[in-house]
Amino acid sequence: MEPAEVEFLAEKELVTIVPNFSLDRIHLIGGDLGPFNPGLPVEVPVWLAINLKQRQKCRLIPPEWMDVGKLEEIRDQERKEDTFTPMPSPYYMELTKLLLNYASDNIPKADEIRTLVKDTWDTRMAKLRLSADSFVRQQEAHAKLDNLTLMEINTTGTFLTQALDHMYKLRTNLQPGESAHSQDF
Amino acid sequence: MPSARKPMRYGHSEGHTEVCFDDTGSCIVTCGSDGDVRIWENLDDDDPKSINVGEKAYSCALKNGRLITAVSNNTVQIHTFPEGAPDGILTRFTMHANHVTFSSGGTKIAAGSSDFMIKVVEVTDSSKQKTFRGHEAPVLSLSFDPKDVYLASASCDGSVRVWKIEDQTCTTSWQLLQKCNDVINAKSICRLGWQPGTGKLLAVPVDKVVKLYRRETWDSQLDLSDASITLPLNVVAWSPCGQYLAAGSVDGSIVVWNVETQECIERMKHEKNYSICGLAWHPKYKQVAYTDTEGNLGLLENVGVVEKPKDKVASAVAKDYNDLFDGDDDDYFNGDMVEPQSSPNPAADEDDDGDLMLTSGRPRRAIIDEDDNSLDIGLIKASSSLLEKEEDGDDQTGGFSALPPSSTQQHFYDGPMPTPKQRPFQSGSTPAHLMHRFMVWNSVGIIRCYNDEQDNAIDVEFHDTSVHHATHLPNSLNHTMADLSAEAILLACEGTEELASKLHCIHFGSWDANKEWTVDMPKDEDIEAICLGQGWAACATSAFLVRVFTVGGVQREIFSLPGPVVSMAGHGEQLMIIYHRGTGFDGDQCLGVQLMELGKKKRQILHGDPLSLTRKSYLVWVGFSAEGTPCYVDSEGIVRMLNRGLGNTWIPVCNTREQCKGKSDHYWVVGIHENPQQLRCIPCKGSRFPPTLPRPAVAILPFQLPYCQVTTEKGQMEEQYWRSVVFQNHVDYLSKNGYEFDESAKNQAVKEQQELLMKLFALSCKLEREFRCVELADLMAPNVVSLAIKYASRSRRINLAQRLSQLAVEKATELATAQGDEEEEEEEEEEDFRKHLSAGYSSSATEWGQLPVRNVQQDQEVEDAEETDACEEAEETPEVHKQRPNPFSKGVTSAEVTTPKSVLGSSSSQGRVNPFKVSSNKKDPVVPSANVLDTMSRYSKKTSLSGSRAVNKQNPPVIKPLIPKPKSKQASATSFFQPRTLTPNPSEKAVEEREGKAVEEREGKAVEDGEGKAGNESHEVKVTAQENTENRRPRTGFQMWLEENRANILTDNPDLNEAEVIKEGMSRFRMLTSEERMVWTEKAKGGAVNGLAEDKKRKRPTADEGEGRRSQEEKSEDTNASKKSKPLDQSTNGRLSAFAFKQS
Repeated sequence: MEPAEVEFLAEKELVTIVPNFSLDRIHLIGGDLGPFNPGLPVEVPVWLAINLKQRQKCRLIPPEWMDVGKLEEIRDQERKEDTFTPMPSPYYMELTKLLLNYASDNIPKADEIRTLVKDTWDTRMAKLRLSADSFVRQQEAHAKLDNLTLMEINTTGTFLTQALDHMYKLRTNLQPGESAHSQDF
Repeated sequence: MPSARKPMRYGHSEGHTEVCFDDTGSCIVTCGSDGDVRIWENLDDDDPKSINVGEKAYSCALKNGRLITAVSNNTVQIHTFPEGAPDGILTRFTMHANHVTFSSGGTKIAAGSSDFMIKVVEVTDSSKQKTFRGHEAPVLSLSFDPKDVYLASASCDGSVRVWKIEDQTCTTSWQLLQKCNDVINAKSICRLGWQPGTGKLLAVPVDKVVKLYRRETWDSQLDLSDASITLPLNVVAWSPCGQYLAAGSVDGSIVVWNVETQECIERMKHEKNYSICGLAWHPKYKQVAYTDTEGNLGLLENVGVVEKPKDKVASAVAKDYNDLFDGDDDDYFNGDMVEPQSSPNPAADEDDDGDLMLTSGRPRRAIIDEDDNSLDIGLIKASSSLLEKEEDGDDQTGGFSALPPSSTQQHFYDGPMPTPKQRPFQSGSTPAHLMHRFMVWNSVGIIRCYNDEQDNAIDVEFHDTSVHHATHLPNSLNHTMADLSAEAILLACEGTEELASKLHCIHFGSWDANKEWTVDMPKDEDIEAICLGQGWAACATSAFLVRVFTVGGVQREIFSLPGPVVSMAGHGEQLMIIYHRGTGFDGDQCLGVQLMELGKKKRQILHGDPLSLTRKSYLVWVGFSAEGTPCYVDSEGIVRMLNRGLGNTWIPVCNTREQCKGKSDHYWVVGIHENPQQLRCIPCKGSRFPPTLPRPAVAILPFQLPYCQVTTEKGQMEEQYWRSVVFQNHVDYLSKNGYEFDESAKNQAVKEQQELLMKLFALSCKLEREFRCVELADLMAPNVVSLAIKYASRSRRINLAQRLSQLAVEKATELATAQGDEEEEEEEEEEDFRKHLSAGYSSSATEWGQLPVRNVQQDQEVEDAEETDACEEAEETPEVHKQRPNPFSKGVTSAEVTTPKSVLGSSSSQGRVNPFKVSSNKKDPVVPSANVLDTMSRYSKKTSLSGSRAVNKQNPPVIKPLIPKPKSKQASATSFFQPRTLTPNPSEKAVEEREGKAVEEREGKAVEDGEGKAGNESHEVKVTAQENTENRRPRTGFQMWLEENRANILTDNPDLNEAEVIKEGMSRFRMLTSEERMVWTEKAKGGAVNGLAEDKKRKRPTADEGEGRRSQEEKSEDTNASKKSKPLDQSTNGRLSAFAFKQS
């Protein structure tokens, strides 16, 4: 999957906005949205929130976890633990990027939040590389991917599986008697 | 109580808090567990000076411009006062000090620490220290002897010791307190005190009494106690004159005694019963400041002073005394002088009490003053003996113990106390003294006011930017009040010395260029509350006048208010004014409400009725729901709404405090909507109102009427029912006043109510409460009553069913008589009540916007199962009817807009549906209907739909759509008729059918086929021949029986699963007589064996057998085998013919 595709999926997440217009419930193929009452918070998918925000039709209320205190806690926890810790949202990275890009004026301390999420992300990526490394080194057959988000899996997924394929082939080719087939590859 | 108590205010964060006055008494100084020392100009000082002295301050003392504090880093520090600059550390302990105190001269301080030590340090030279060792536990408190000879201390080891300062020896020690290991575990912090001046007495709070010890002899001279003290006393404080002693207890009582007389002159209870941990007397006035362990600061004023304005004698007496007092001579003489003066006063007893109070409140003279209490001989004796003792200085114990107990009786007024009147306010505003505040937050928008150094401005923001763009206004006139509507901004300021009070309106809805106008109030008349309605603005002034203006600035009505205004609100043409009707007592407000209509028809709806408020609460929000129903909120968080359905009474619809998580959390109401039911408010953590930044988010609370037992199913449904009724009142009001309203929402509400009634009915049936069933049926709409009858008959409650049908008849006749004149086109004026019944049904159905077209429904369902006509679908999903917001919420309406067109618009919007919605009807037919309720919901859906369809296809409806009688009749007639017949002559059949139906109902249960049906039967027999193409699977008699009776079983035992249902069915089947069983087996055989043109009746297991009506018929066939068939093509034909008929 491309990162853009993951982002596309993330855009289905719901966020709360405060619209400044009035509109009845709208019926979309993915479900009903609204009704929109000016001044009254309503949950909409991220894609619509961003769209409305760009047209200055709403004010965005950041998700509860998008808060410096909470993110600091998450980052510290992530640094402390060897395994992956659960993230506040399965699309935390995508949401942070999208919301901060388009609605940073509605999110207090946007810069700090960006840094904190990036820190958490880096920590997790480092862990991921480390564990992939030990996975390959120790020739494990399987690994648990608890608490990994889609975006994170996607950063290494393709590469890792291909690499494993190659290694497998190389290994099998090393075995005598099988060399005849090597030309197939 | 004679003393005036101001409400407590937040001083510090939770924890031990101490208080003292500065030397001149100009300010109050507190220290608390937040480590700050605050200097308060007075109790209302909202910006106290804060000095941070450490992480936690345990104790503070102030004298001669030096502030000493005991803080958590185990030191005792000095700060300069009032600057608050640190001035060094006086001493250190190995644990923190618990109490610090100044000597009377202010040259020394004493500090007692948790490390069991007491130190006395020279303030100017901290090297001169004296250490007192001997306590075996943390030291609780200390007190310097005013003569600087002794030092008293109390400790957690239970002892109270008196030390000689000179040689640091323990002079005496009493084991008075309960032992404990730390200060926090101590029952009382035991703040003791020497009598100022002579230091003759040492007061120690011991449990519930204050023990007074005599200097030098160290014997317990007397105990001061009072019945109002129920828990240990924490702290004592002497008045600077040494005359009075105040004590505070751990349950928040404060008691003040006159020490000489042992008389309790003051009792006060903390408003929240928190433990009093700090007490301080004002050096000059009769004020006592106190603090509690939650960090609050309070002030008692005029302690021990009674003002009796009525009692001239009392004041005269006082005056006499003032004259007499110079010579501090013979008190008996005074007494004699007074007696003749006061005796002519008829109000003897009480007034004398008053005299006593008044005079005893005078400092330093109490002993002699006392004697004016001429009638109380005992007291005179007591005081005279006291005086003697005072003079002798010896041997007092006897005298005191000889005091009659009556002398300590309550001598002050303890009746209801008047409540200070609440100040006028604007709904949805935060306090005016804040630098950044909301001037108003309502359903239109937000007005914020910034009033700081660089800027004094007003920001107006609209929720809906299509109303108007956000604006920024300078606030040069210092406006404090504001209101906002969809057409104007209204601002007002109070008058100053130079400038008159002004009303300023920005009418942005105006189409000319001059959008602003200003009106000056007459001199000395200040605006106190303002509001905006539709096309008008109003202000209430300090002259008790209400002035109404048009929104363009023309002066309109003016009228007087009976009292000072509290708040006002406008909506449409309604104006609600709340004012003080009088003085409330004991914390209650005494408010009145006026509600008027300022439209074309000017009238007053509420004529200054008393406003119901929760006890000890005040008003915090007044306004209208978006639909125009007056509402208000009191400080206890109860939201009340005008119930126009019950003679304009107020009904509590929500308790916001129940929703709060914390004790100090509140909801700040910003708007109320009745449809959908929403209470819009802002959750405030730890405060009553929100700050402007960060921008608060609106939350929605549900309404709940305070009905009993809402945890039970019954209570819950009752609450829901009545809530639905109350929140539907606005529809009637709107329609009566010619406003546009949302028909579909009303229908939905009606449907919901009827469903709830039906559920309640079923519940009562289950509980065998038949009387209650009838009562419930009385509330039902007639068409639902018929369902109830069916339910009753199906659950074999013949008696109930009979009573219900009687009820139905009564209802029908009532309706018929009520609507007799409207029903001109009654088809046949037969005397038979059945006619009336059915007429009643149809007419009532139209009234409710529902038509009893059950058979149409059946057909449609069948149809749905087969064909999927998109347009048909579209019309058949009434759930998606939009709830149109009230005109006011959008601010578009005026009374003139209420034309048919607007409703047409809304009805066409009913056609706007969700194209992605899967019709539930498609799945329905397979499932046999479980019980009447299912049928009913489907039924009412359909009927409401047909109503709205009628709206669409027939004449454009108006505000009160009474669908023309003949049409509805035809509709119902055809609908009754359709499924049964092929003949295109519906009317006579319909009559026949109806009669048959009515017979059934009269009999109260299903009976054998009436003659009326015989004709039908023959049709159907023929018809069965046609439908044999369908595959039948063989069945047993029991299966068929079960099919029929499953619904019954399920209603009786709703929580059975499939297997249990079968089991239950088995047992019931066995209970049938053998004949009955035979019939069923016959039937089954017939069904199984039968090939094609069998004359026997068969069941058709299709959707329509689930229908209520149908199943009733089936039930009627329980006893004898009968026909049961209805080919699809036939019903479709019937439907088509009905359609054609309707069109014509």
